Amino acid sequence: MAMDVCGLLLDEAPDAFVVQSPEGIVLHWSRSAESIFGYPADEVVGRDLLDLMVPADRAEEECGLRRDALESGFAAIESLRRCKDGSLVFVAISAKAVRDGQGRPQYLIVCMLDVTQLKVMRDAKLVDARYSKLLESMPDGIVLVNASGRIVFANSQAEAMFGYEAGHLRGLPVEMLLPERLRGGHVAHRSAYFGQLRTRAMGMGLELYGLRQDGSEFPVEIGLSPLETGEGTLVTSAIRDITERKRIERALHEKNVELAKANAAKDRFLASMSHELRTPLNAIIGFTGTLLMKLPGPLNEVQEKQLRRVQSSGQHLLELINDLLDIAKIEAGKIQLVIEPVDCRAVIEDVAATLRPAAEGKGLGFAIEVVDDELRLSTDRRAFSQILINLVQNAIKFTERGSVTIRLARRVEGELALVEVSVRDTGTGISGEDLQRLFAPFARITPRSGKFAEGTGLGLHLSQKLAGEMGGRITVASAPGVGSTFALVLPEG
Amino acid sequence: MAARILLVEDNPANLELVSYLLEAYGHSVLIAEDGRQGLELARREHPELILSDLRMPVMDGFEMLRHIRADATLNAVPVIAVTAFSMSGDQTRVMLAGFDGYISKPIIPETFVGEVEAYLKAGRRKAGPAADP
Repeated sequence: MAMDVCGLLLDEAPDAFVVQSPEGIVLHWSRSAESIFGYPADEVVGRDLLDLMVPADRAEEECGLRRDALESGFAAIESLRRCKDGSLVFVAISAKAVRDGQGRPQYLIVCMLDVTQLKVMRDAKLVDARYSKLLESMPDGIVLVNASGRIVFANSQAEAMFGYEAGHLRGLPVEMLLPERLRGGHVAHRSAYFGQLRTRAMGMGLELYGLRQDGSEFPVEIGLSPLETGEGTLVTSAIRDITERKRIERALHEKNVELAKANAAKDRFLASMSHELRTPLNAIIGFTGTLLMKLPGPLNEVQEKQLRRVQSSGQHLLELINDLLDIAKIEAGKIQLVIEPVDCRAVIEDVAATLRPAAEGKGLGFAIEVVDDELRLSTDRRAFSQILINLVQNAIKFTERGSVTIRLARRVEGELALVEVSVRDTGTGISGEDLQRLFAPFARITPRSGKFAEGTGLGLHLSQKLAGEMGGRITVASAPGVGSTFALVLPEG
Repeated sequence: MAARILLVEDNPANLELVSYLLEAYGHSVLIAEDGRQGLELARREHPELILSDLRMPVMDGFEMLRHIRADATLNAVPVIAVTAFSMSGDQTRVMLAGFDGYISKPIIPETFVGEVEAYLKAGRRKAGPAADP
């Protein structure tokens, strides 16, 4: 049987076999060319490979090859070509000019041999020799890829991370390490990266995932940097498995959502509780009032006395509810302070005007001392006034003889200018032990008489918390039997 | 100056308290237990003043107020909120909604009727929806 050598060579030789016009138009495209590059003959014949398969940065090289072949009859290079599916292959290309009878170039015969695997082996040898010890010592998975996108080196951390046996990553297209849905985009991305090499730090860019050999995915963070070898540029990828970090982030996020929900529920509860507690109090205080107003008819002395008890207890309960609600709001971070310039002196005079009758009713002296008049204070007027009322009420309550004095002065602590509003009394005073727990909720001090003082037991606790919200504090100095001085200290300005 | 006052309130004890107080001072009181009843009664009886709770079943005070303000025949009737304010921003919300005034619960029985009569005298709030001090 006669052997069709020509046919065999054309169709079955491992080299891609191409005939081009001197201008570079493809005239013949062999079956082996089709199997290497993926393009069937009818998509190539009549076109220029420069437009089809030569990466932009290799165009000049291709032109040089053609020129040399046409001038000197023969030329050869090693270069990169893009296949129909976008992947890059290293090829050894040789070109020979064929001339007509007059010596004019008639054809270019081009042979292209796929040397991708050979190139991988060469690059691998080079990397192993120069860098393997260093790359093995890195904590991250390290994968080196050459311009064709093939892995030329993977350290054992990378092999373990992706579930491959030692040496089995070498030669694989790097896309094998990505979930299929990301591969297409990655080829384009990789080609672009080779076109514009720069170091990219870890953690920048998109959410990335790795694909293990067993098909499972895991989130990764990747840092990229180019490595010049003299045999071409390699790209180093440092890969970190961030499964655990992602899990913690997710757990934190879920916790946050949960907390926000709990907080909202707490707010709703506070609002409802406050409303629901006040509603029955409205009837209790209201009807006690109508009875005491004697609208339904006359009262005897005992009835009136007992009704006054009901009334004051109802009012006490209302104060407790208001104070508790204020504290709950502060603790939930729900208090809304309106910071504005406040005329301290005017507020002090307002408070004094309201409480003076109570002091004078007990036969106490009541005075305001303004030491520094030119004070500037920006704070929440209501909170400022609420604290002051609390301090003055306490002073009047715990003083049987003498006086209550409100004093306004500037105080300097180091670099800080402070506004100090103090309330001084000549009352029972507070022992050292009681001073310790004075600002705790329900920390009533026991007067010498043994009777418990009226009040909610929350006033100072609330005032101290409010002062804290305002960027200040309440200080106290006291001596039993001599009197006490409470001061609200706020930053001036 | 005896007046016809519509009281809209779902809590029986509070209803009894407020109507007792108003009647004790000679006013006549129309009673509704939710916003929808309140609206119907207002349309039928044209009271001189409406006192309304905010949280109520069926129709709350805010919705009732919207319907009243949309009704030209009720345009001149002042509507006062009587409510257990609890959270910061509640008062502003009430005034922004277009109530002509508010009285906090628990009410002070000694001064309550006086406050209501002041609102009767003042009529519809002329100024914009800024909160009263």
